[in-house]
Amino acid sequence: MNKTTFKKFSSLLQFFVYTSPAIIAITAFVGIPFLTTINYSFRSWNGIDKVSTFVGLKNYIRLFTDDQAFIHAIVFTFIYAFFVVIFVNILALLCAQLLESKIRGKGIFRTAFYLPNIISLVVIGFIWKFICTRVFDQLATATSISFFELSWLGDPKLAVATVIFISVWQGLGFYMVIYIAGLQSVPEDIGEAAMIDGASSFRKFFKITLPMIMPSISFCMFYSVANSMKMFDLIFSLTGGGPGGATTPMALDIYNTAFGKQMMGYGTAKSVILFIIVAAISVIQINFFKNKEVES
Amino acid sequence: MKRKQNLTTSLITILLMIILVIYLLPLVLMVTNSFKSYGEVMLNALSLPEAFTFDNFKKVFETMDYPKAFFNTFVITLIGVSGIIVMGSMAGYKLARTKTKLSKYVFLYCIMPMMIPFQSFMITLVQVSKGMHLTNSVLGITVVYWGLGAPMAIFLYQGFAKSIPLELEEAAIIDGCNQFQLFTQIIFPLLKSVTAAVIVVNAMWVWNDFLLPLLVLGTDKKNQTLQLAAYSFMGQYKMEWQNIMGAAILIIIPALIIYLIFQKHIIKGMIAGAVKG
Repeated sequence: MNKTTFKKFSSLLQFFVYTSPAIIAITAFVGIPFLTTINYSFRSWNGIDKVSTFVGLKNYIRLFTDDQAFIHAIVFTFIYAFFVVIFVNILALLCAQLLESKIRGKGIFRTAFYLPNIISLVVIGFIWKFICTRVFDQLATATSISFFELSWLGDPKLAVATVIFISVWQGLGFYMVIYIAGLQSVPEDIGEAAMIDGASSFRKFFKITLPMIMPSISFCMFYSVANSMKMFDLIFSLTGGGPGGATTPMALDIYNTAFGKQMMGYGTAKSVILFIIVAAISVIQINFFKNKEVES
Repeated sequence: MKRKQNLTTSLITILLMIILVIYLLPLVLMVTNSFKSYGEVMLNALSLPEAFTFDNFKKVFETMDYPKAFFNTFVITLIGVSGIIVMGSMAGYKLARTKTKLSKYVFLYCIMPMMIPFQSFMITLVQVSKGMHLTNSVLGITVVYWGLGAPMAIFLYQGFAKSIPLELEEAAIIDGCNQFQLFTQIIFPLLKSVTAAVIVVNAMWVWNDFLLPLLVLGTDKKNQTLQLAAYSFMGQYKMEWQNIMGAAILIIIPALIIYLIFQKHIIKGMIAGAVKG
């Protein structure tokens, strides 16, 4: 072996010494499961038997023609994601803007608003279940305000609104912190120059601040969409998907299909649909914000 | 002008304080009700507790075997996050330094999972983990976390490692450093700001994660994490809200203490992880 091939060989060897632990772990716990998911989506399989039978596109056809629950889960997931993304981003940006004005005790406000974010969603679900049932019950008897008499978790439509509200409440602090970081990176002199030129603070916000914090906005949009499409924990402990499946998102429907009804093959077909939807939205978002950021 | 500005700031402060009180009210109710007796919660959930009782906490502590659940969660978070850091920093550094086509493809392969939602491969992930005898085991689940957490860590480390000057490495080699020493003693310490972000993001995720433990840890009580223990406890004691609120507090406290001590780092880490990721 001459010297250059030896050197090449040794650097290749080193490359694999450093990267193989990660490659192996990722392959074992993402790569292989993901590929087998696609494979099983064309099969009928209960997860217990060793054998599964090839059924072609049957799972996919059934999904869209004979499964009201899944269609409803897709619709609910989209409605949920839409409202959560809109509200959480607007409110977080608003709070960030307020916190960035020259007020005292900024740190305390930031710490406090971030607090719900360190609590797991399972626990959040139980806390709010208590508020919506026990506390509202007593407020209703004490004040007889009809708002508290409504069944916020028992009525299908109201339950959807409740779930959206709680998700916004829990996520607000996280997005606010990101927006604060974005606002702090906007140089003050640009805004001051605009004010001197006679721009209103309203105009200043939309024409200067907003374009300058586009990276934060694009991240928060991306992250909130992805998180909403995948949401599971909060629903699991708050409503269990009910009443009557009204608040069952796709992830919970997949879970119920695979681990409740033991229809693994069918569940993997639903998983593939979830993946395709999330991937499609990601691609659209990346293209959308790429254009925006170039403009600014 | 100055006076007007002062007035606006105090108005904003007052507004924010009102918002904050409403915002944190659910958590306040959680705390007050955890000190009440069953009868008092049923009678009056809104008032402050008449007689502070710690019975709820005692009951929760024993019923859900808190020390065991805490220990399990701690071990899973510690080993899980350590593994993610070791794998992520090694791979991220090497991928940033190697400028071959192979390295580019390996990098793409490694970060691709960031785009795949966990729920879309969880069914077969359970099967794979079962096949590797990693289910029903506290140590087993940590290995699964390595695979799930590595992609984002690699992405962050690779991005940062690119900015480390090559001259530094050359100087170290001339001084007689071997490759292993170069990485552990020169490179890894330089990556510490990324390491902090990776610790924060992943520790929060693993500590509060619910779905993966639910899927692979099974029902055996000796394997339960805090989140699983909380869920089964709260399911078991339906409507006994004083106990459930007590459980909620016991689950939150460890994270809260860590948060209050390291909050600057945590928020900074979250932002770093977010902006780069």
